[in-house]
Amino acid sequence: MAREITYQTAINEALAQEMERDPTVVVFGEDVAGGMEAPGEDDAWGGVLGVTKGLYHKYPGRVLDTPISESAYVGAAAGAAASGLRPVAELMFVDFMGVCLDQIFNQAAKFRYMFGGKAKTPMVIRTMWGAGIRAASQHSQALYPIFTHIPGLKVALPATPYDAKGLLIAAIRDDDPVIFFEHKVLYDTKGDVPEEPYALPFGEANIVREGGDVTVVALGRMVSFAQEAAEALAGEGIDCEIIDPRTTSPLDEDTILESVENTGRLVVVDEASPRCGMASDIAARVAQEAFADLKAAPRMVTAPHTPVPFSPVLEDAYVPTAESIAAAVRETAGSGAPAPA
Amino acid sequence: MSTVAPPEAGQLTRDQLLEAYRVMRTIREFEERLHTEFATGEIPGFVHLYAGEEAIAAGVCAHLRSDDYVASTHRGHGHAIAKGCDVKAMMAEIYGRHTGLCHGKGGSMHIADLEKGMLGANGIVGGGPPLVCGVGLTARVKQTDQVAVSFTGDGGSNQGTFLESLNLAACWNLPCVFVIEDNGYAESTPPAFHQAGVDVAKRADGFGLPGVEVDGFDFFAVSEAAGEAVRRARSGAGASLLVCKVMRYYGHFEGDQQTYRGPVEVEELRAKRDCLDAFARRVTEAGVLEESDLTEIDAAARALLDEAVEEAKAGPDPSTDEVLSDVYVKY
Amino acid sequence: MAQDSRVGIVANPASGRDIRRLVAGASVFGNADKAGIVLRVMAGLGAAGVRRALMMPAFDGLSAALERQLHAHESAERHHNAAPLPDLEVLPMPLTGTAADSVRAVELMRAAGASVIVVLGGDGTHRVVAKACGDVPLCALSTGTNNAFPEVREGTVAGLAAGLVATGRAGGGALRRELALAVELGDREPELALIDVILSAEPFTGARALWRGSGVNELFVACANPSAVGFSSIAGLLEPLPRAAGRGLHVRLTDDPARAELVLRVPLAPGLVAPVGVAGFRTLELGEEVAAAPGSGCVAFDGEREIERRPGKRVTVRLVPGPLTIDVDAVMRHAARVGATRLRE
Repeated sequence: MAREITYQTAINEALAQEMERDPTVVVFGEDVAGGMEAPGEDDAWGGVLGVTKGLYHKYPGRVLDTPISESAYVGAAAGAAASGLRPVAELMFVDFMGVCLDQIFNQAAKFRYMFGGKAKTPMVIRTMWGAGIRAASQHSQALYPIFTHIPGLKVALPATPYDAKGLLIAAIRDDDPVIFFEHKVLYDTKGDVPEEPYALPFGEANIVREGGDVTVVALGRMVSFAQEAAEALAGEGIDCEIIDPRTTSPLDEDTILESVENTGRLVVVDEASPRCGMASDIAARVAQEAFADLKAAPRMVTAPHTPVPFSPVLEDAYVPTAESIAAAVRETAGSGAPAPA
Repeated sequence: MSTVAPPEAGQLTRDQLLEAYRVMRTIREFEERLHTEFATGEIPGFVHLYAGEEAIAAGVCAHLRSDDYVASTHRGHGHAIAKGCDVKAMMAEIYGRHTGLCHGKGGSMHIADLEKGMLGANGIVGGGPPLVCGVGLTARVKQTDQVAVSFTGDGGSNQGTFLESLNLAACWNLPCVFVIEDNGYAESTPPAFHQAGVDVAKRADGFGLPGVEVDGFDFFAVSEAAGEAVRRARSGAGASLLVCKVMRYYGHFEGDQQTYRGPVEVEELRAKRDCLDAFARRVTEAGVLEESDLTEIDAAARALLDEAVEEAKAGPDPSTDEVLSDVYVKY
Repeated sequence: MAQDSRVGIVANPASGRDIRRLVAGASVFGNADKAGIVLRVMAGLGAAGVRRALMMPAFDGLSAALERQLHAHESAERHHNAAPLPDLEVLPMPLTGTAADSVRAVELMRAAGASVIVVLGGDGTHRVVAKACGDVPLCALSTGTNNAFPEVREGTVAGLAAGLVATGRAGGGALRRELALAVELGDREPELALIDVILSAEPFTGARALWRGSGVNELFVACANPSAVGFSSIAGLLEPLPRAAGRGLHVRLTDDPARAELVLRVPLAPGLVAPVGVAGFRTLELGEEVAAAPGSGCVAFDGEREIERRPGKRVTVRLVPGPLTIDVDAVMRHAARVGATRLRE
């Protein structure tokens, strides 16, 4: 039975259902309950934006607030995973990854490989990403390319409430370390989500819209912007196929290549900054694997190579828009002015 | 892991003493042998030798069960042996063979055996303490009386991860023991330069944890203090910090010319402070063990190492397909 | 005379970090705390007119902490009207990182004409100093765990009193002759203990500090203070003897309830009150040599297992005169009476 709930509630539900099913799932992070040892409510926050609210009371002993010590508790997640728990640690903002990066990419990501296949590290790090709430440079980044680059890690970025629940359940059940990216602007968006637990497989893209003229690969919040652009472009006779990879590691290359085989044109839309990102990664892979099918150069629509600015006018100019996506599509399709720089 | 049970408070049986000597002698033979073999150029990569510090690994691990965990450093062979990792498989790993403990995928700095509770040697200074906080959490959630011990050097005791781990272990009341092996040098720099206060045991005070300092050359001192620390953790009374002062015999890495040390420093240490010599003298003088018990162990350790090196040299290399194996459980 | 007076300061960096932190409620006495006390002692010495202080070179962080605190002291305005601190001279000696360093330092201080030695440490540190100090009086300040011998005394006043003694203005009742226990073990050099000698059944010295109530066979004490913490409290709670009594006590202990004449509950270590079985006890007269019961195990001096006694080795204990210590209260009372701290106009 599906009903309409928010992206945030879908995440909460995924956590609750997995914790119900599996007593080794534990949740910890800064203020995931909130207010410990303070005079007011236990579970006062339930996460800085309320995503984990209610779990503390339902699963006592398995929801733990941490000190502000990412390197200790993310490292603890790795150690706990290697010794029999399935921890879901929260890195409040992915922008904070700098203080715990070693634990993620040198420890957790590499245990299985370095130890000759004799370890498994079934941990999830849930983290907030994305620009749009005027949180400025150190609280707005899209850093999944960095984690995607690391062998041993898996990376998921749901764009909808349905994907959020299904991918998080899959992440928790996955025996490898997963970095689970939650777009902070999408928390309030609504969508149909089944009541029962379900897992969406990693490495399987979602074809959000079918179309024969241009393949548009979009990530996270950009999926809905691409949909908006596609509506406008349909009126101009350009039929877009929108693909949401859902996970950047593993990446469903086959779906993208099949689509490009058919359309011959590719636009990749990524809110992240342009160098060494998903846009360049996907464009290069397609160029190598489907060169013969391409009728035009692949185009990348990304943020500029700058930190995220604060002032609303500036932040709005930073993030790609439906218009900038449409312009790139037009250019690839051979019509219209070149896309703005 | 041996089948010898950990010592009770204040008592060390004959079997426990034999086991302690066996562990220390095996580590010493392993490291001395590596030193010789490394000089031939046949061993790839970096090795960091533990010779001189054996009393610490033996004294601490004597109190651990096979379901307890340890996390180690780049200087991890001693901890691996003391925790029961297979010596031949370790040597093969260092030679990069398929028969190695990690199938040649890790090497000296990443020797691990999770089945023996050895979370790995670690190439990142300070990498261990957060991991043992995690194991402590597992024990708490699963309600077992397992204990997790991290070994860190004097250099690592300045890393944020170490200090954060003391804080986290204290806040969450985790069954952890944080051992600091102050072996006189963080790479080439002594604590007098790199350590504010030079009082690592006192750092525990800041987190409300007990901090104890012992002579790391003295097996009995380490064993007694470690026994109490492990007992405390196992009983649910929380974490503690054990600082063991010792000196390493070899360089930071093999190949280190050690020009930062005094001209007869190591010679004097070997002559006057050696943990194996002191142990042997004390147990024989106390009449608890015979010299023949010890020489028997010496011979067995030498023979084991001879075999280990021979088998490692002759062992098969991994096939190149294995570059791609075991990145994920399932991708 | 005042210009020439020299005072030695022994501050042991190694004390206060032993296993009693783990098994009892003791806290760690850090280098910064010790450096602070040394600084205060120096302020007192300087005020009494002592111009030179001698210290052994400190490894570990003690000298670094002291240097920082000296520097801060010099820059602080509030000290500008005070008498200058004595010049701190570091003794020219190599360090081994063992108790031998303190012995050597004291020998050098005596040779340099130190008229007082201020000691910061626990019973163990004072024991080592007492072996070498001869008749140079000690100002005994506690920074260890079980403080049976040195006292917990604020450093500034201790320094002032020590300085008055050093500059010959302390009066007749300033010094006390302590008792000690001389221990002979076979062909070893004789040892000295200031508070107690314990024969333990434990075969190895282990983590040194003696804190378990079981496995202890015999106890000899040079003074029996009922308010002490540590094994000497057994004697103190059996038959209290003030320091001036000139007698000690020899107690036989047992773990076997059948052999125990009585069982005492005693404070063996900070935070640890444990039962101890007493098989019997008698007075120890000054000069009387007593042989310990035959057996093997450890011999502990002032609460620290020091020597592994092999089977067949004979141990004898004798109550002897020990070091001279400064009675700080007596010195300050005298100073008040004779106006020793009044500044000249």
